[in-house]
Amino acid sequence: MSTKHRLKSHFDRAAGYTRDSSNPLFALVRPPWLFMAPIVALLLFMFVGPMLAIVVFSLQSGNTIDPNPLHWTLAHYAEIVTGMATGTGVYGQVLGNTALVSAATVLATLVVSYPAAYALARKIKRYKVVFLLLLIIPLFTSVNVRVFGWALFLVENGVLHSIFNLVGIGQYPSLLYNRYTVLFGTTYVYLPFMLFPIYLSLLTIDDVTFEAARDLGAGPLTIFRKIVFPLSMPGVVIGSLFVFVLSLGADVEAQILGGGSVFTMASNINYSFGYSQNWPLGSAQAVGLLLITIVAGVVILRSLDLREIASRGESR
Amino acid sequence: MSANTPRLSAPRLRAGAWYGYVLLVALFLMTPLFTLVIASFYDGRFLSIVDYAFTLHWYEVAFASTSIQSAFLNTAKIAVPVTLLSTVIGTGGAVAYTRHEFPFREQFKLLALLPIFFPLLLLGLGMSLWANVTNLGYGILPSVIGELVWISPIVMFVVSITALGVDPDIEEAARDLGADTVTLYKDVVLPLIADGIVSGAIFAFVLAWNNYYIVSYLSGAQSTITTWIHAKMTQGFTPTVPAVSSLIFYSSVLLVVVVALFEYNKSEGDEHS
Repeated sequence: MSTKHRLKSHFDRAAGYTRDSSNPLFALVRPPWLFMAPIVALLLFMFVGPMLAIVVFSLQSGNTIDPNPLHWTLAHYAEIVTGMATGTGVYGQVLGNTALVSAATVLATLVVSYPAAYALARKIKRYKVVFLLLLIIPLFTSVNVRVFGWALFLVENGVLHSIFNLVGIGQYPSLLYNRYTVLFGTTYVYLPFMLFPIYLSLLTIDDVTFEAARDLGAGPLTIFRKIVFPLSMPGVVIGSLFVFVLSLGADVEAQILGGGSVFTMASNINYSFGYSQNWPLGSAQAVGLLLITIVAGVVILRSLDLREIASRGESR
Repeated sequence: MSANTPRLSAPRLRAGAWYGYVLLVALFLMTPLFTLVIASFYDGRFLSIVDYAFTLHWYEVAFASTSIQSAFLNTAKIAVPVTLLSTVIGTGGAVAYTRHEFPFREQFKLLALLPIFFPLLLLGLGMSLWANVTNLGYGILPSVIGELVWISPIVMFVVSITALGVDPDIEEAARDLGADTVTLYKDVVLPLIADGIVSGAIFAFVLAWNNYYIVSYLSGAQSTITTWIHAKMTQGFTPTVPAVSSLIFYSSVLLVVVVALFEYNKSEGDEHS
C-alpha cells in the first residue's frame, strides 16, 4: 500500500500536479509528452526512416547503400528528368500518362461527387444513415477486392455481358485493358475521398444563409454561384489534392483493369523495384511522388480544422 | 410509386431526383462488391445472371483449403495486434493534441496525421527498403509495425473528433474536486471519449484486415488474405477467389454497420438528453 502511494505521488509530481519537480527528465513522463511519445517514436522509426531511405537510395549507384556520401550520384535523376523534359522514351510517356490519369480522375470524381455531396448535405433527410453507410462501406473493403469485382463485372462473359445480352446487345468493344478502364478504376476508388470533404464543407452552410439569400431575391443559380460554391471551396480543394495524390500512387487499378496497357508512375516505380531490380532508379521516381505528397499533405492538414469538423458532427 | 401518388408535385419530383442520384452513386460504389457476391455463389464457369445456378461449393472449398486457412490466420496475427496497439497509440496522440497545450503542438499534428495522406504504395516501398537497411526483415512483426504507421494516425483522427467535443474545462474541474493524475484520466477523460476510442478501434481492425499494399511489401514469405487474392488475380484464377473476397467483404460490412449503429444511437441519445 505504501509503495503504491509513493508511486502515485511520484507520478503526480512528475505530471506537474504538484509543481515542485525541478528535474527536467520528469517532464518526459508528464501527460502530454507521455501520450505523444508512442506515436512520435513509431513515426520517427517507421515513417520518417523509410522516407529517408527512399531519398538515400535514390542517390546510390547500386542496390546497397554506399557509406561514403562522396560516391553518391544524381545520375538517376538526370536520366528521369531528361526523359521527362524531352518527352521521349518511357519517362516522357509515364509523365504524360500519370498527369493525365490523375488530372482526369480529379475532374471525374469532382463532377460525379459534387451533386451527391450537395444532396447528402442539404436534400437528404430520411434514410441518411443508410446512404452514408453505402458510400462508406467500399472505403473499408480492400482496394484489391473492389478492383477485382470490377474486373469480374466488365470481363467477357461477366455480369455486364449477360446484362447486355438481356437487352439484346450482342457485340460491344472490350471494356477491360485500356486507358479508359484505368481512369474508370481510379475514379471509382477515389470518389469517396472527394465526396466526403465536399459534403463536410457543405454541412457548414446555415439554413439561415439560404433563407436570407432568397429573401433578398436571389435565384437558385445565384445562390449556388455566390454562396454554395464559394463556401464549399475548402472541401473541393482538400478533396482534389487528396484524390490527385492518391491516384498518383494508383497501381492495382492500372495492373488489373489496365492489364499493363498504361504505364503510370506507380506501375513504373513498382517495375523498377520488381522486375528490373533497380532500386535507386525506382527510389528516384518515388522521391518525385514523395515531394508532391508532402506538399499536398501539409496543405490539406493546414487547412483542416479538426475543431470545426467536431462541431459539425454534433449539429448533424 | 408514381401511380400511387396521382398529383406528383414538382418539388417532390426534384427531391426524388436528388435521392435517385445519390442512390445511383451508392450503387456505382457497391457494384463490384455485389458482383463478387454474385460470383461467389455461382456454380459454373462463365458468370451469367440469366441462367444462374446457386452453390455454396466455393465457400466449402475455401474453408477446407489449408493455404486459405493459413492466410486468414496470418491476417488475424497482423490485424489483432495492430488494432490493440494503434488504439492505444492513436488515443495517446489524440489526448495529447486535443486536451493539452504545448510547444510545437501544430507541428505535432502535422507529423502525426501526415501518413493518412500518403499513397500506400509509397509507404510500402519506403518501409520495404527500410526493413532491408535496418535488418528489421520481413514477416508478421514488420507488417504490424508498418500498418501501425498508417492506422494509428487514423485512430488519432477519429478519437480527436470526439475529444474536441468534450468540455475543455473538465480537467480543471476534476482537479479542483481533488482528482489526481491517474484518476483524472482513468475516471474522467477516458470514459468521456470512450465512444471515439471504440469507433477508432473498429476502423483500425477493418483497415488492418483489408490492407494490401503495406503487407505486400513487408510480409515476406507469409501470405495474407489480400496478398493471396492478389496472387490469384494476377496468376491462376480459381472460383474460390470471389468466395474469399466476399468473406472479407462481409466482415467489413458487419463491423462498419456496428460503428454506424453505435454512432447513430449516441447522437439520438444526445438529442433526448
